[in-house]
Amino acid sequence: MEIDDEHQQSPSTSTRPQPSKKATAPVDDAHPFDLEGYISNYSGRTAIDRLIHITQTCPTIAPEAFQLAVQHVHQSRDPGLYQQLLTAYEQTAANADLPAPLPNAMELAPLDTVWADETMTKNQAEKVKLEVELKTYSNNMIKESIRMAHRDLGSYYRSVGEYSSAVKHFVKSREYCATSQHVLEMCLSVLEIFLEQRNYAHISTYVFKADAALEAAINSNSGAGPGSSTTGAPTPTAGKKKVSVERQQVQSKLDLATALSHLGQSNYEKAAYSFLKVGPAKELGDWVGTVIAPGDIAVYGTLCALSSLPRSSLRNVLLGNSVFGVYLEQEPYIRELIESYMASDFKKVLDILSRYSTRHLADIHLTQHITELTDQIRNWAVVLYFQPFATIKLDRMSKAFGWTIEEVERHVVQLIQAGSIQGRVDSQNKILYAKKTDYRADLFARAIKTATEIQAANRKLLLRMKLQQADLIIKGHAISTLTEMLARD
Amino acid sequence: MAPNPTESLDSILQQITTSNNAAALNHTLRNALPKESRDTILASVLGSGQDPLCVLDVRQNTLGVLYILAARVTTPNATPPPWSLILQFCQCFIPSHARLAPDRVTALARGIVTFANSMGSPKSAIPPLSNLVQRFPPDASYLTPLHPILALACTSTSTPDALLPHLATPITTIDLSLTPELTYTDNLVFHYLAGIALASLGRYGEAEEMFDIVVGAPGIVPSALQVEAAKKLWLVGLIGRGVVPAFPKYTNSFIPRLLKTTPYSAFVAAYPHKRELLSDIIQREATLFATEKNTGLLQRALARAPRWALKKLTATYVTLGLADIGRAVGIESEDAVRSLVLSMIETDDIAAQISADGTVTFMDVAPKFTQAQVEEVLAQVQDQTAALRDLEREVGRSKEFLSKAVKSREEAHWLGPSDEDAFSLNAAGVWAEDAIFS
Repeated sequence: MEIDDEHQQSPSTSTRPQPSKKATAPVDDAHPFDLEGYISNYSGRTAIDRLIHITQTCPTIAPEAFQLAVQHVHQSRDPGLYQQLLTAYEQTAANADLPAPLPNAMELAPLDTVWADETMTKNQAEKVKLEVELKTYSNNMIKESIRMAHRDLGSYYRSVGEYSSAVKHFVKSREYCATSQHVLEMCLSVLEIFLEQRNYAHISTYVFKADAALEAAINSNSGAGPGSSTTGAPTPTAGKKKVSVERQQVQSKLDLATALSHLGQSNYEKAAYSFLKVGPAKELGDWVGTVIAPGDIAVYGTLCALSSLPRSSLRNVLLGNSVFGVYLEQEPYIRELIESYMASDFKKVLDILSRYSTRHLADIHLTQHITELTDQIRNWAVVLYFQPFATIKLDRMSKAFGWTIEEVERHVVQLIQAGSIQGRVDSQNKILYAKKTDYRADLFARAIKTATEIQAANRKLLLRMKLQQADLIIKGHAISTLTEMLARD
Repeated sequence: MAPNPTESLDSILQQITTSNNAAALNHTLRNALPKESRDTILASVLGSGQDPLCVLDVRQNTLGVLYILAARVTTPNATPPPWSLILQFCQCFIPSHARLAPDRVTALARGIVTFANSMGSPKSAIPPLSNLVQRFPPDASYLTPLHPILALACTSTSTPDALLPHLATPITTIDLSLTPELTYTDNLVFHYLAGIALASLGRYGEAEEMFDIVVGAPGIVPSALQVEAAKKLWLVGLIGRGVVPAFPKYTNSFIPRLLKTTPYSAFVAAYPHKRELLSDIIQREATLFATEKNTGLLQRALARAPRWALKKLTATYVTLGLADIGRAVGIESEDAVRSLVLSMIETDDIAAQISADGTVTFMDVAPKFTQAQVEEVLAQVQDQTAALRDLEREVGRSKEFLSKAVKSREEAHWLGPSDEDAFSLNAAGVWAEDAIFS
């Protein structure tokens, strides 16, 4: 059994990466953000995490987010979260430069100490109970019971926020798994934890393991089919149908996990394809709400696709995908974004992106990447816009994008230097020219250059070969005399 | 009983003058005298008190003169030979005779350097050495131990142009039967010094190639000289082309790793746009750069940084004000920018014109080539193809290659055909049978 040692690394990485300088996002008429509506899509731990994040990023609505978060905390089993929340809130209060100081946290929503004490005692009792169970089962050496004990302990630790212990127990339970179904269950639990922790780097390993387990589970089930055919013909088909539905569900979850892991690691193109592969929301089962809201899939998928895919494939993958279309219904502005992009109305695209920048910054998975994604979408837009022109006045571009001429020039110059636009700028008259290349001359020049280079390379290689043939190879003895000799030059 | 030196020299002189077989004479000269005292004997005078060199003809008695000269210039306390005679010898010795005693030629070359130093004019060693290097090997593509001696003499006396004639033909031949004492350091030192000479003459492209040869020299471990050459390779690349040259693919992997932590890496990374950082690095690491003798190259690279920055601008802009250029390349005074632009136009680095109001218009540089150029390149390519084909044939019929090829075939045979082959064989057999029966 390879129980990889990555669970040993996970405690170190599990401490959430706290970017030293968080971007703060304004919430006003130009950047609307409906906190209540947003958070009602989520439940459980992720709701609290998201609220803490909002508390940190949006000072203007921090008090509101704080209150909501405290309500959620009181429904959880982890009183420690309150402290975390409080720290986040106080940091925001200390750093934010708002006209009025933020109200005191204790007055807004104090911790229900009775609840905290009760929960702590209950937690402790359950922990003791579960550990005693595990010990008993271990003594009795009943494999299945030990697995369940580990699993229960894992779930327990997860609910009280001790993730490293949780992962440890889940991984430990792998040793006692008798069927692929159990392995699959374990992998999904670990994946849920990683997703909650935003530990993107380790996700792919468990997706891979889960894939293998899924394959094995299907095979063993279908293998059982012919064997049980004596009992009655209809059962296998019904069973198969059920299996395939289950398979679909797990597959969708795995696709989503993969997509998030690619996004987390800035592989936007891969992330785009993975998000677009995710099955309908009902297949995600309990992950909707606890991990992700359906609208998020539309947002992530679309932004990743717009930032990394060429326009020709966008039409197919975004608009031609009926499953993804359902997700798009959740966030009408995203559909509008795609439509304006496809209609080359780039000003509107940029407007929408800036209007919803708060919504994007407030998202825990997107916050790290939204600047990069926006930049890339904008670059695509500029490139696409210039494509049909041989020359264009920069002020026409500035009208199309809603930028000042200086901004246009800056972006265009950046793109030229990055090699995305084949053109040159007339900085005095503010005109962008497409590059004219005399391909014949260019080809000749290149051929001559390559010929000389290859000749030089051949010459050097010949010398090198001769040196090797003559065994004039540098072997490891000191050449101090040589350096002395050279000290004089 | 040790032979009387004078007597022995007399008899040897006799042999030298009477012998008409160079190989036999070489054998005698090398072996007739006891090893330890050979040079002392050769460096002495004749019984009559006469200088043996006066008796011999420098051309006809090439070997004899060579042995005696080499002994004279290397043996301590020997009467130094007349300088004019050395010059004369180097000009008219018979190469085929001298090739019989390559170690003596090398000893003579070393002696010439010491002799010239003791005369107080190290530069005077260059002409005779140059003659030796030119005449000793069968053609200019050979590497000999004389090459690094000459290169060192040229670079250490700051007369790098004296080396140029010897760099016209690149070194491509290594022949240990001609010069058995050749070592890998000869190759490294010669090309390294050649690189330095070319760089000091401002021929950065060629210098780059020389350093490239040093960096890519075959080896199990990297040599200190290769690391030095790698640093210089970077710098001449920056000066000459404004880009960092890549190391050859076959470079020992330790070399880039050794360089990674040096200030050179930082310098290269900041080139050419961050001028302040560049001069900062030069100042901060001044002592290191000075001990490694690279300050000059670094300064030159720094001075040329604006050129490369400006060159990059031409790819992006059609017109640009002088002030804008100044801002982009880090020069404040508009006049300095103007003179930079002018000098770059003069050297054909950019095609541009400056209008009266200070607007610079960059023009597309059309690639320039003539028919003659194309034909020349084609001819060279054909030559090289032919040379490579010959080489391939030579390798193909060489003993090592054939024995290896036979061996690997035997192994393959021994392992037997794979299952698939066996199957297809059977299948073919069945088909054949079918064909017979039908």
